[in-house]
Amino acid sequence: MTETLLRIEGLKTHFFTEAGIVKAVDGVSFDIRKGESLGLVGESGSGKTVTALSVLRIIPKPGKLVEGKIEFKGENLLEKNEQEMQSIRGREIAMIFQDPSSSLNPVYNIETQLRDVLLAHKSMSKEECHGKIIELMNLVGIPEAEIRLREYPHQFSGGMKQRVAIGRALALQPTLLFADEPTTSLDVTIQAQVLELLEDLKRKLGMSLVMITHDMGIIAKMCTRVVVMYAGHVSEIAKTEDLYDHPRHPYTASLLAAVPRLDRKQTLSIIPGNIPNLIEPPSGCRFHPRCKYATKKCSEALPMLEEVDSDHFVACYEWKNITLKGASGKSD
Amino acid sequence: MNLKINKKITKQKRRSASQWAVAWRRFKRNKAGVAGLFIVLAVVFVGIFGDMLAPYPAFPDPKALTPFYNGDVRTPPNSKYLLGTDTLGTDVLSNILHGTKYALYVGVVVTAITMAIAIVVGAVAGYFGSWIDNVLMRITEVFLVFPSLLFILVFVRVFTLGAGAGGTFNFLGINIPIGLTIVIIVLAVFNWPGNARMIRGEFLRVRELEFIEAEKALGASNKRIIFRHILPNILSSIIVVASLTIAYAILLEAAVSFLGFGDVNTVTWGQILENNFSDMRIVWWAEVFPGLAILITVFGFNLLGDGLADALNPRLRD
Repeated sequence: MTETLLRIEGLKTHFFTEAGIVKAVDGVSFDIRKGESLGLVGESGSGKTVTALSVLRIIPKPGKLVEGKIEFKGENLLEKNEQEMQSIRGREIAMIFQDPSSSLNPVYNIETQLRDVLLAHKSMSKEECHGKIIELMNLVGIPEAEIRLREYPHQFSGGMKQRVAIGRALALQPTLLFADEPTTSLDVTIQAQVLELLEDLKRKLGMSLVMITHDMGIIAKMCTRVVVMYAGHVSEIAKTEDLYDHPRHPYTASLLAAVPRLDRKQTLSIIPGNIPNLIEPPSGCRFHPRCKYATKKCSEALPMLEEVDSDHFVACYEWKNITLKGASGKSD
Repeated sequence: MNLKINKKITKQKRRSASQWAVAWRRFKRNKAGVAGLFIVLAVVFVGIFGDMLAPYPAFPDPKALTPFYNGDVRTPPNSKYLLGTDTLGTDVLSNILHGTKYALYVGVVVTAITMAIAIVVGAVAGYFGSWIDNVLMRITEVFLVFPSLLFILVFVRVFTLGAGAGGTFNFLGINIPIGLTIVIIVLAVFNWPGNARMIRGEFLRVRELEFIEAEKALGASNKRIIFRHILPNILSSIIVVASLTIAYAILLEAAVSFLGFGDVNTVTWGQILENNFSDMRIVWWAEVFPGLAILITVFGFNLLGDGLADALNPRLRD
């Protein structure tokens, strides 16, 4: 088994709003291994973005990291002070965001923004810096780098902007990159290019990639292992093939069934109901009100993750008793 | 033939797309704004060279009363005194020319002090929020609730009496009137709260933009985010408000002087108005021309401010 790079244990991040305490992440545990592509999948509101923000400890107010442990390279990130975290962010752990149009500062040209990141963590001469920036631009595939460097974000297309954002995040060669829906706002052809770029860079730099998305197709293409989240909890963790062929959690099976398919005619399958209110979530398993296999036990206590197969974990009381269809439509 | 065209295209220099370059190109097309700029430049020119251009020096220099000793008190505009002489026997044109630098002194310094305080307060309140925002906003509210002109007049009078004003102090080789400086400080003290609220609003807006989150994720400190990321993004609003504040400050000082609370020994435009007010029926030129100077100057700064506002926002097309 490959070495663990980052381990999250019992993470709880709550938002203390006027309407109540929103338990966005309410007891999440999983690990990220060296050099892997981990998918973090779930609906909007499942807590996947907040989990990534919690690792970097940049949770916006009124959010607060309430409980848990995050071990990175042998140290607990939750015990570090703000200055220590600032030196980790961008340098060891980085993140790219969904909308590239708004994730770059509009008043500085690209070179200045990249230079800022480099000089914030390392000191180097102007020429060295410039050289590194050209290297980065080439790495992320931006043509005519010398000219484009002096341009402003609004002069780039969406795909190009995302490449710049990726370049900025990888400027210091972090060991772990969180990619929060990096292709959601791009059109499909550009999407493919950006995903390929991420894969390529991951290999070249030997880093771990956490792909946060709600798109099961991207997971299938990019990730070797998947963590499925629902309403602030982890419902299933498995290797991608395992997850797609032998899902063990009803929610995962519903997600797979909901992907529209071109190869066969079927009505679009939906998951009935809505994601739960995170201020007053349902008792026990958060999915039980929408689950067709739910029993009384499911509404009483929260199921814990248990090992179902090699490197396959599920948080469900009924997994032994149910057979679920995989992505190919065949059941076990 | 085709080769020639291609070469032409690649040789074209790419126009800078920085917000300033874009804004300047937009500004040039705004006739009113450009007119305002010319007026302001003209005023600045007179402010710098006024003392040299004026035929007579200004009070309290005794030579200012030369027309008086010549018996030319209250003469209407003629070939000798282009804008006439006023009720004290001084040349109106000279007074206006000398007064220009004071108007600019007031405008610029009040604005500088106001913006300095407003930016600090607005940044702290807008960026950090919570209790410090509360405290700072309640303080600004105190200023905004009270009738500021009244308080300005009272404070100016109190401090002027206290400072035994009438003299000048020396700063970097220039003699600066104390009384006028007191007026400036009081004006600034009552002006910063309004601007602070505006800047706080801008901080609140920019703080929520996604690139701020991205910079945090890259390890930027609060200080870095405030100075390097938020401030440059609100610079356009600051510039616009600053130019409008200059106009406002000049007008306000004229009002304070006109009401008799200004520095009697310094011939600002408002002070000229105050000096000749009682004899206005006879010496109308001594009221009208300084009044016109105030009007044109304030109008110029307002036009400039408006032009800048249009040019700087929207500055980018996404």
